[in-house]
Amino acid sequence: MKIIRHLLSIIHLSSIILLSLVLFLSCSRRIDLNRIVIWHQMRVDERVILEGQMKKYMELHPGIHLEAIYKETEELRSGFIIAAIAGQGPDLVYGPSDQIGPFQVMNIIKPMENIFSEAWIDSFNPKGVTWYKGHLYQIADKLGNHLTLVFNKNLLQKAPETDIELIEIGKRLTVYSNGDGRFEQYGLVWNYTEPFFFIPFMTGFGGWVMDDDGKPTLDNRGVVDGLNFIKELRDIYKIIPREADYNIADALFKDGKAAMIINGDWSWAGYKKAGIDIGIAPLPKIVKTGLWCAPMVSPKGYSINVNVSKEKEKIVVDVLRYLLAPENQLETAKQLNTMPTWRALYDDPFIKNDEILKNSQIQIDRGRPMPVVPELRAIWDAMRPSYQAVLGGVKTPEQAAKNMQSLALRKIAEMNE
Amino acid sequence: MNRFYKNIFIFTFVAPAFLVLIGVVFYPFIYNVVISFSNMNLRHIQDWQMVGPVQYVKVFTEPTEPNFYVIFLKTIIWTFVNVFFHVVLGVILALLLNQKIKGKGIYRTLLILPWAIPQYIVALTWRGMFNYEYGSINIVLTKYLHLPAVEWLKNPTEAFLACILTNIWLGFPFMMVVALGALQSIPHELYEAADIDGASWYHKLKNITFPLIKPVMIPAITLGIVWTFNSLNIVWLVSNGGEPSDNTHILVSFVYKAAFNLYRYGYAAALSIVIFVILLIFSLSFMKKTKATEAAY
Repeated sequence: MKIIRHLLSIIHLSSIILLSLVLFLSCSRRIDLNRIVIWHQMRVDERVILEGQMKKYMELHPGIHLEAIYKETEELRSGFIIAAIAGQGPDLVYGPSDQIGPFQVMNIIKPMENIFSEAWIDSFNPKGVTWYKGHLYQIADKLGNHLTLVFNKNLLQKAPETDIELIEIGKRLTVYSNGDGRFEQYGLVWNYTEPFFFIPFMTGFGGWVMDDDGKPTLDNRGVVDGLNFIKELRDIYKIIPREADYNIADALFKDGKAAMIINGDWSWAGYKKAGIDIGIAPLPKIVKTGLWCAPMVSPKGYSINVNVSKEKEKIVVDVLRYLLAPENQLETAKQLNTMPTWRALYDDPFIKNDEILKNSQIQIDRGRPMPVVPELRAIWDAMRPSYQAVLGGVKTPEQAAKNMQSLALRKIAEMNE
Repeated sequence: MNRFYKNIFIFTFVAPAFLVLIGVVFYPFIYNVVISFSNMNLRHIQDWQMVGPVQYVKVFTEPTEPNFYVIFLKTIIWTFVNVFFHVVLGVILALLLNQKIKGKGIYRTLLILPWAIPQYIVALTWRGMFNYEYGSINIVLTKYLHLPAVEWLKNPTEAFLACILTNIWLGFPFMMVVALGALQSIPHELYEAADIDGASWYHKLKNITFPLIKPVMIPAITLGIVWTFNSLNIVWLVSNGGEPSDNTHILVSFVYKAAFNLYRYGYAAALSIVIFVILLIFSLSFMKKTKATEAAY
């Protein structure tokens, strides 16, 4: 009798543990072939368009469920790495092309050149398809992600074409009259805490972040002169604020307190919504060097998770073809003034005639492709402290360029050890 | 063996919670310890190998800018300044709210407000308030107090101070609520007896109030120290990821950067274990020294 009681107790305990385990494990996601998950970092207006397009797809394909999950760029990157390494994660991941390098090195995205036909891939602008180490890893629906000169047409009719004009117009449009220590209006603003926004000045003076082998090239005249130029804009010509991060620069322009802003294509729709009559112009030429200020240009698009099974791949491919279809790209371009990647669309009357898109196209052509190698992350990280130190008056541009280079080399070595 | 069977009922109920704990606490912790001895990074994320205590050596010797010891010192300053003001402000406000004052409910709601606002919004709002030209703090300093404007976000010391000020504002309501709860549980007879004995306000505070709120405040302070030591959000968002020039990092923001910006998972795991050990040693010795587990009455 005692033994039976003991046995019953053990069975009781085991069943509770088993039940808990089952409950615990059932929390993990079931593989559902008809449920396609997309992780993206699209801003709100882009998201609304994507969700509308997804809804249409689901109406056309009953039984298939599409789910888009927003994550902030860094969270998306780290979250996708963790999930994909564990054999999970979304089926499609959307973002700028610079995430391709780390994802490829970690082997968490699929090469796509054998999944899609050559003819279909050729339908895209070559700048919109990201190849890395001989394989196709990303197909974009938007080209650019690039900085341009955005100006308030109520304050300025024609954008400056050279650095000299920029300074002249900037001086004319910077207003400081009441002596309270705060300028009423600035000629130019931008986020000068982030080195991404420094790139056009660096390229305008002949510099670039790395050589063809991915080695940093930051200790150069372009960096030094670019830094000096920004310091002059702030301290000598006084046409930019003493400090401005993204939010401050953005708010100043939206409030009509800045005549020009250097910002990316993602910001234009927001300025229109804020009631600013904007004009888009390519960044000016530096007269001394004869070079245009060239921003980094990168496509934004989709990659396929390496964990997507062969069985599910067919549906994922069909979804991807739909999302990248020309009619969907045109819809996005019309609403957000983003540059599509489907080549045939470049003959569309809207793309050809829209003033914003025309100037955006000029800027894209003058821009330089953003490197997709993982080392770029270390270069940004190495540039940021010295760039900020120059603007804080702690380092000279020459010291900063030297320090950027040595720190970049060390960080790359640490990353690759 | 008999005792085991007698307690089977207890084990049965504890088992589900224990399994969940294994999944969400013990397994990740052990995994973290394991990768802290590995070379897991960008190039070795799938094929990582055990390399011994290499990452720990790097934590203490690698010439990062700023290095581990500087960041550790800043973390200690960050933690103690924050917790000191959280407790002092919290207790003072709790003492005031514990009096018979008009509109107590309104004051209490207003004072708890910082705690109710999402940290992300608090941090970005304060960052805007610290702007040199348009921030409200400099406007108050220059326009009303006729003091020179401060470059809060451009200089390392001022930027660190900006983070601390934001976190003080965000953290005092917790201590205030805890202290208020403790104050309300003190029997009123003790104060009446003290009044009969002719005790002054200060003596009542020293001999009744403080000793009786201590058992509640010590665990709250311990928690406050651990939370503040590990508080990533405010430092990261107010200083925009360590600006200027990586000079406003505390240990956790530095770990975050190492793990997610530069994909150095082994190094970040080792650094996080070091942080864990620091906090464990501190918490145990603090609890022992303050006799936090002793009864008050």
